[in-house]
Amino acid sequence: MQLSMPLMRRAVLAFGLMFAAPLALSEPAAAANVAENFVDNNIHKGLEILNNKGLSTAQRRDQFEGFLLGLVDVKRIGLFTLGQYRRTAPPADVDAFIAAFKNYAVAAYQSYFARYSGQTLKVTGSTERSPTDFIVATQLQDPHSSQPPLEVDFRVRTDTGNPVLVDVSVSGIWLSLEERDQFTAFLGQNNGNVRTLITHLSELAVNLDKPAQ
Amino acid sequence: MRGFRALIVGIFALAVAGCASTPPEALAANDPYEQTNRDMLRFNGKIDRYVVIPTVGVYFILVPEGGRRGVHNFLGNLSLPTIFVNDMLQGEVTRGSQSLERLVINSSLGLGGFFDPASKMGIPGHGEDFGQTLAVWGAGEGPFLMLPFFGPSNPRDAAGLAIDAAIDPTNRIRFKQHLWWAAGREYFTLLDLRAQTYQTVQGIQRSSVDYYSSLRSLYRQLRNDQIRNGRAEGQDLPDF
Repeated sequence: MQLSMPLMRRAVLAFGLMFAAPLALSEPAAAANVAENFVDNNIHKGLEILNNKGLSTAQRRDQFEGFLLGLVDVKRIGLFTLGQYRRTAPPADVDAFIAAFKNYAVAAYQSYFARYSGQTLKVTGSTERSPTDFIVATQLQDPHSSQPPLEVDFRVRTDTGNPVLVDVSVSGIWLSLEERDQFTAFLGQNNGNVRTLITHLSELAVNLDKPAQ
Repeated sequence: MRGFRALIVGIFALAVAGCASTPPEALAANDPYEQTNRDMLRFNGKIDRYVVIPTVGVYFILVPEGGRRGVHNFLGNLSLPTIFVNDMLQGEVTRGSQSLERLVINSSLGLGGFFDPASKMGIPGHGEDFGQTLAVWGAGEGPFLMLPFFGPSNPRDAAGLAIDAAIDPTNRIRFKQHLWWAAGREYFTLLDLRAQTYQTVQGIQRSSVDYYSSLRSLYRQLRNDQIRNGRAEGQDLPDF
């Protein structure tokens, strides 16, 4: 009897899903396509900017910044990376942090993606975490390398009306998670003082704009 | 050399066990030995800066790209018996047969492993170690550790290092110059790893707010990805 009840529950559930699935799946499938198309269209544009040798460094930075800020929900990511300190920090400090994080993110993302020159990106599918939260899987292939393609995933949210990018993962490493771990560790060592983090982020953004030695 | 590695792990475990006071942030990050780990990262950084990086520079000057690729392939081929054993211990029969095929093909057609014809024949390479096997068997990672010379780790992966050394058949073949062979292999493994990761590590150092916690996060995420052998469904990710 102990076994039969869960089995019966499963059978009822499966029976119900047979009828519900076509209804439930039709909309998320379309939403997943929106997320996949969003990544497919936009990441190519980003790679084009970074690979455009005709642009000066300043022009490339300006174009990439405009492109990135139109694509990425920087505020949402910034708030996420503050972790538990988001709740305790004064609102004015949080606003100042978001502004500093924006500058840092543009410089850092440009620095990360500048290394991917000449590669092509192919969308291979997507996973639905919730009706408004998708992970779009892609492969980054270097045409000059015999190495297997790099797995790059993009997390796309659609709950604000338009799709926005909130995180990117390279070979299983999620960038926003790594940033949150760093920022909360830094704040833990500095008595939770968000102002100190803002100063540090601003310095880093300036240094990242300079060429690597 | 492998015994030396196990000894270092043991000494380090004793050293970190002596740490008394731990900040709450360190405990939340499952890193009760954070201060010792940070000291160890500084020590590793000095070894890297004054010993490893200069020799990587010499390695780049003396050995052309094709030669470095050959060394990388050769070292990878030497690891294949250990990878095969761990594949099988994890019940990954398909991946195990791939490792065995790669060992046979690259050792023969690949002239002792310096070339990688197996990849061209559609048999891709992969990594596997006993730390991952322990994870597949259900062992938790334990607190974060920064090992001297070997970098980010945890008790599970540190134990895996010792077991992998015991599994490796090349450590069981005794010959007159065995110690030199083992030391040379370790040294070239380090050179190869650092040569391949130089730019990436530099990028992380430049963009990090806190390099130590960045390494800790990257290591944990990377190991989880390696243990899963591929993409996660993303259900375990936090909400934004």
